[in-house]
Amino acid sequence: MPAISLQNIAKSFGETRALAGASLHCELGEIHAIVGENGSGKSTLAKIISGVALPDAGKVDVLGHAPTTPAEAIAAGISTIYQEIMVAEELTVWENTFAGTDGLWRRKTTTAEKKRLARETLLRLAEVDIDPDTPVSALPLSVKQWIVIARAVLQKPKLLIFDESSAALDLEATNRLHKEMLALKEAGSCVLLVTHRIAELVKITDSATVLSDGKTVGRLEKSEITEKNLLRLMSADERHSAAGKRENSVISTAHKPALEACNVQLAANAWPLDFKVHAGEIVGIAGLDGAGQSEFVSILAGITPAPAGKVQVWGASTVSHEITSLADAEAAGITYVSGDRKKEGLFPNLSILENFGLALYDRMASRFGVIDRTQLSAAFDDEELRLSIKYGDRSDKITTLSGGNQQKVLIARAFALSPKVIILNDPARGVDIGTKQDLYTHLRDFASNGGAVVYLSTEIEEFLNFADRADVFFEGGIFASFDQGAITEDNLLAAMFGQTKPIVFDEDTGTEGVA
Amino acid sequence: MLSNRLSHLWVPLGLVLILGIMAAVRAPQTFTYVGLAGALLVAAPLILAAVAITPIAIAGRGGVDLSIGPLIGFVNVTIVVWLSENGITHPILVFAYAILAACAWQMLLAAFIIFVRISPIIASLAGFMILQGVNLVILSRPGGVAPEWLGNWGWGTELLSPVLYILLAAFAIWFLFQRTAMFQHIRLMGADERTAYTSGVDIIKARFAAHLMAGVFAGLAALCLTGLIGSGDPTQGNTLTLQAITALVLGGTSLAGGKGGITGSVLGAVAMYLVFVVLSSFNFGAISGFMTQLLYGLMLVFALLVALVTTAPRTRAA
Repeated sequence: MPAISLQNIAKSFGETRALAGASLHCELGEIHAIVGENGSGKSTLAKIISGVALPDAGKVDVLGHAPTTPAEAIAAGISTIYQEIMVAEELTVWENTFAGTDGLWRRKTTTAEKKRLARETLLRLAEVDIDPDTPVSALPLSVKQWIVIARAVLQKPKLLIFDESSAALDLEATNRLHKEMLALKEAGSCVLLVTHRIAELVKITDSATVLSDGKTVGRLEKSEITEKNLLRLMSADERHSAAGKRENSVISTAHKPALEACNVQLAANAWPLDFKVHAGEIVGIAGLDGAGQSEFVSILAGITPAPAGKVQVWGASTVSHEITSLADAEAAGITYVSGDRKKEGLFPNLSILENFGLALYDRMASRFGVIDRTQLSAAFDDEELRLSIKYGDRSDKITTLSGGNQQKVLIARAFALSPKVIILNDPARGVDIGTKQDLYTHLRDFASNGGAVVYLSTEIEEFLNFADRADVFFEGGIFASFDQGAITEDNLLAAMFGQTKPIVFDEDTGTEGVA
Repeated sequence: MLSNRLSHLWVPLGLVLILGIMAAVRAPQTFTYVGLAGALLVAAPLILAAVAITPIAIAGRGGVDLSIGPLIGFVNVTIVVWLSENGITHPILVFAYAILAACAWQMLLAAFIIFVRISPIIASLAGFMILQGVNLVILSRPGGVAPEWLGNWGWGTELLSPVLYILLAAFAIWFLFQRTAMFQHIRLMGADERTAYTSGVDIIKARFAAHLMAGVFAGLAALCLTGLIGSGDPTQGNTLTLQAITALVLGGTSLAGGKGGITGSVLGAVAMYLVFVVLSSFNFGAISGFMTQLLYGLMLVFALLVALVTTAPRTRAA
């Protein structure tokens, strides 16, 4: 029996056509992937399978059903892990883990049992022991992600849909996730994976459907799933190779740095950190989840004040300004782009143009506070061209765009401020390879025109051929710093685990590790 | 964990204790047998109104039921005009009518919120105005006579009175309801509706259920009000809306949804009653009513500030 059979699915949101002629077929007992660029309709297709979105046209058969609500899908044995992490922040770990599992009035599991299972499952999956009565709002993003995964896995689904979910997890966690997916496959279930991580695809999927512009453009079987084939089908391969090359640049460190951190401590008794980024330099920041790198970039960007030490910019060679607030950062020309779009970037109720322009309102307003719409539109035109943003109409809500295109709007907002320093916190989360390459090209242009870039990423392969320097965080401090020539996967990975020499993995974890 | 879940009760509990001591000093007659019986009678409609709007607030979407006051007034005037004047006075019939009528209204409100997608505050604001008008059409000025057995509640000389039993029954109903999976669904929906929807909760039924519970308690509140005044009054209920919302907020139930319970609402209502008692013991004469309003407002601001100060650092640290 086929697990999923979709034929000629079409779906539009407002003027944006998400799907037009998408088909997909996969069997029970296999891991199938949906691949495609941003805005190619992957997430929409996943939402149709899980009953969140209804197709405008086409035939849906998922485990013999055509679910019209998530409740129906769940009843049919379909569990979905959505791109956005669906948790109720105010409620506890166990309440979130078992959300929606009870009957309408009756509990199917006792509360004590739920607490026990939630604790046990999270211990197994996330390898952290959490009191199931902890409110979710107190937990880091990666644990929230695991709660959502636990919720789906505990339902013992016949079909499990992962929508780019491993993006919030670090390397080791991704490996545990793979184990979980393989176990489901062994048990005869089907796993549907929506991902941008090519390495992941090559390693664990049995077959893949490739989407482009809302249409199925190809299907690959196990032996055909290679990076080359995928990129060829996604039509991003040219850009990939073109942007991959980079000339060695010489950064003048004789001048004062564009942004500097002196003796910053992330916690009361953490290592003091020193950090510098010069004009024209791209500095990569890496680390395992919770090693302090996210906190550090927040401090650099002026979002959270440093608990100890100071962050400063140099106006002239002798005058420095300390950055302790967002206002300081803005005055100093520092902008911040977050990969957590939902929380730290988007105004979901506003239009694409408003989301782009709201940081510019101050500059583009006349003396009496009236915004110059023409100037704003022109600025949007520039950035839209530069980043090739795909949208229906600029007055559409930002939420009509795909995740990758939303991210492009946020990056456009940052570029339009013409900053001196741009700080990015995992901007490529949930973004396809084509957009990533576009982004790298723009950042490099920005740097060669005298800007400074701080780029935090959860995927270390992003730094290769891109960063001038990579600083690796470990246990709340900068553990190692690598110059352009020394930025290799082995070096970075070793440093992330606190090793001074590249570690030799046993074969099992090694191959997946460095992919 | 327990302390965490009940932390929102510290402020209303503190208020009740402080005001209780003040009342005991200023108006010691409140704490006699007859005094308590009277207090229970007078406070019951507000307590039940505050309890009624609690499940709706927990269900989220900024669900404040503004129509609660006129709804209680509606049941009050219709008991007097439609039932009592037509000789329908049997307790079972009157109880059934009160609860069913209030539930029917709440179902209507829920249907508008769910299917027409009107925000709850607008839907219930419209309901507030409509019912206010309807009540005056049914009974243009206070009058009529409640069924005799119900009117007799108004003597308020016995502590072990039907009003006490109704309150106890309301607590029992809530206690049982709180243990159902449905309550959990409502909490989840209130805390994050999208998470609830995507994890398979039937959010339509959950919202209906929250309003249904509100209907049951609103019906009981109307019976207590009718017993208290012994007649029909088309405007008496209206003031209950703002008082009930004040009690709800004092009790720590979040208007953002997902958080709270009736214990807080009850404590909030009791605190408001005690303010009234304490103020009555001073001789403000004609402006006493204004002073009560003023103090309700100040108390609300104070309670929210205290809650902010006591809970903010803890969430930050976590």
